Amino acid sequence: MPEAGELLLQLSQVSKYFGGVRALHEVDLELHRGEVVALVGDNGAGKSTLIKVISGVEHPDSGTIQVRGESVRLETPRAAQSAGIHTVHQDLSLCDNLDAVRNLFLGQEITGGLLRGRPVSRHRMEVEARQVLDSLAVKLRSLTTPVGGLSGGQRQGIAICRALISDPSLVLLDEPTAALGVTQRAEVLDLILRLKAQDRGVLVISHDLKDVQEVADRVVVMRLGSKVAEFGRGDYSSSDLIAAITGAHEAPRTPEGIR
Amino acid sequence: MSTQQIQPPTAAPAAAPAEAGTPMLSRMVEGLSGRYRSIPVLLVLALIWVYFYSQNSAFLTSGNITTLTLQIVTTAILALGVVFVLLVGEIDLSSAMLSGVCATVTAQLAIKSEWPLWVAILGGVAVGVAFVGAEVLAIIFGVPSLIVTLGGMVILQGLLLVVLPPEFAINVAGTDYAKISSTYIPSGWSLALGAAGWLIFCATRYRTHRERESGTSPLVPVGVPALVSGVVIFGSIAVLSEGPGLPLPVLILVGMLLIAAYFTGRTRYGTHLYAVGGNREAAQRAGIPVSRMVIYSFLVLGVCAAVAGMVEASRLLAVSNSSGGGPLMLNAIAAAVVGGVSLFGGRGTVWAALLGALVIGSINNGVQLLGLSTEVQSFATGGVLILAVAIDVVITRGSLLPNRR
Ligand SMILES: Nc1ncnc2c1ncn2[C@@H]1O[C@H](COP(=O)(O)OP(=O)(O)OP(=O)(O)O)[C@@H](O)[C@H]1O
Ligand SMILES: [Mg+2]
Repeated sequence: MPEAGELLLQLSQVSKYFGGVRALHEVDLELHRGEVVALVGDNGAGKSTLIKVISGVEHPDSGTIQVRGESVRLETPRAAQSAGIHTVHQDLSLCDNLDAVRNLFLGQEITGGLLRGRPVSRHRMEVEARQVLDSLAVKLRSLTTPVGGLSGGQRQGIAICRALISDPSLVLLDEPTAALGVTQRAEVLDLILRLKAQDRGVLVISHDLKDVQEVADRVVVMRLGSKVAEFGRGDYSSSDLIAAITGAHEAPRTPEGIR
Repeated sequence: MSTQQIQPPTAAPAAAPAEAGTPMLSRMVEGLSGRYRSIPVLLVLALIWVYFYSQNSAFLTSGNITTLTLQIVTTAILALGVVFVLLVGEIDLSSAMLSGVCATVTAQLAIKSEWPLWVAILGGVAVGVAFVGAEVLAIIFGVPSLIVTLGGMVILQGLLLVVLPPEFAINVAGTDYAKISSTYIPSGWSLALGAAGWLIFCATRYRTHRERESGTSPLVPVGVPALVSGVVIFGSIAVLSEGPGLPLPVLILVGMLLIAAYFTGRTRYGTHLYAVGGNREAAQRAGIPVSRMVIYSFLVLGVCAAVAGMVEASRLLAVSNSSGGGPLMLNAIAAAVVGGVSLFGGRGTVWAALLGALVIGSINNGVQLLGLSTEVQSFATGGVLILAVAIDVVITRGSLLPNRR
């Protein structure tokens, strides 16, 4: 593994069942600092479930999760956050009734002392919010209108900007480009590379194989809850990916693992 | 970082400010769902007042206004608790009965057992908090709050008969208990309190302005709210002082509203409260302790119910098997909703409790003043409630047309 930085995340033999549905079956996954890993697979392959397991929303039925070499139990989203894992979920997880600033800082508000009831420092949050939004060229008419009234792209922008607020070491993105126009899609890919340049680990789900080939250092293919293939950058063609995703023929597993 | 990336307006339809072309109507709806939510309520209130005043000029005398404020205080305090529960997306049907039980417990302790009044009051509040505590445990285990509090209401009806003495009433006239509602603050004191409150408001407003946009004139962002709040504060004190003075229950209500407004509007707790009501899953994923926020809301409701019950008992000079019954529960929920709190959670402010109680109280008071039959009162209150919920639905859906979104 020539390009690998510090090992950030290691999943081994993680399984998850929803009643009779096998959403994840003995999945192994590694993620390093400064690395972008793409997760691809058909609808219902278990990609979102895998991300939810890593972000503490769902709990695996078996298997272990290690963060920076230490075995952890991610019981709650907050536990995952304090382990340095930030997630942008497929449904964006925004509160439509709150404005952009409150959404950006949700759960990590800048506050005053306990004696005054932890008042939020609206001004400081607004200044920081503006910086973060500007840095990704997310344009909002006003920081005080509820985000429910904003366009899909603006909402997506806010959800991704949340990743920068807490300065996480690992960012999980569930279909971040799905709702975006051409320019904003390029912005998001740019953001992913910027996160990588900041030496964070990025795990990104995408159905767009062009995007995947553009940003991913490694591609992990899932089908029916299992990891069926893994390719290093430049080691595959689009048809290899499609074959692995659809299971058209047995995907060639590279013998020496990654690259 | 990426300032050179200017977005061509044609290439990114999603990023362009789509709101620019939206019709006036939906922009109005959007504005009303935000910070201008109380404007239609104030308009309705003004209409009601003008109507009753034109029918009978006694409606706006300071004497009648004092009566009106005393009539609405109980509803408003209870509605304040209901607002907290509605904001996290739950509902409550039991708090009115609970207020009767708490008031009775306090009366028992203060009058029959002759405990000091403040200990008796604490006892009543403890009962309120304990009962909602039990209810909310069932709710966070997944039983719908509608059912839990409906059952709770029936249990409380029985409990009221248990805590009442065999004659089913306790007379509190002439005791310290009765003084809660019959105490009036002298004009000098209420003026001083009002002035202090107003100065603090203006000072914080000015500081926020200086912090935010240093350099611009503070005339509009600070001056206008200062003027409006000054007119409201000193106007109401002047009107009430012309009568017997500022009633103590009104002071209690205003104090509770101010504390509630601070915590819901300015603190992290408030942000989390609205987040839980707006999108529970998102709140949970953001690390907000959702169940704990629901518990807090119900505990606040328990305290509000106890205080409301005691104020009502001391106003009526008795507790009885009808305490907390009648239209009180419906009025409290209606007040919260009419005031602009969404039944779907996460929208509205604590001031809705006051505004809504004023609307409903003014209708009741005016109808009685005109000597109209009680049917008219029911029709008007019911009509206003349905209208308010219709507005709520429109705002939540973001459109005036049916079946959109
Ligand atoms: N909360 C749940 N309860 C029951 N079944 C679930 C739940 N969440 C996911 N599943 C099931 O688990 C499987 C994997 O779902 P998942 O959402 O992870 O797929 P995905 O790969 O993200 O698909 P998509 O590309 O459509 O987003 C599906 O069969 C789905 O029906
Ligand atoms: Mg998914």
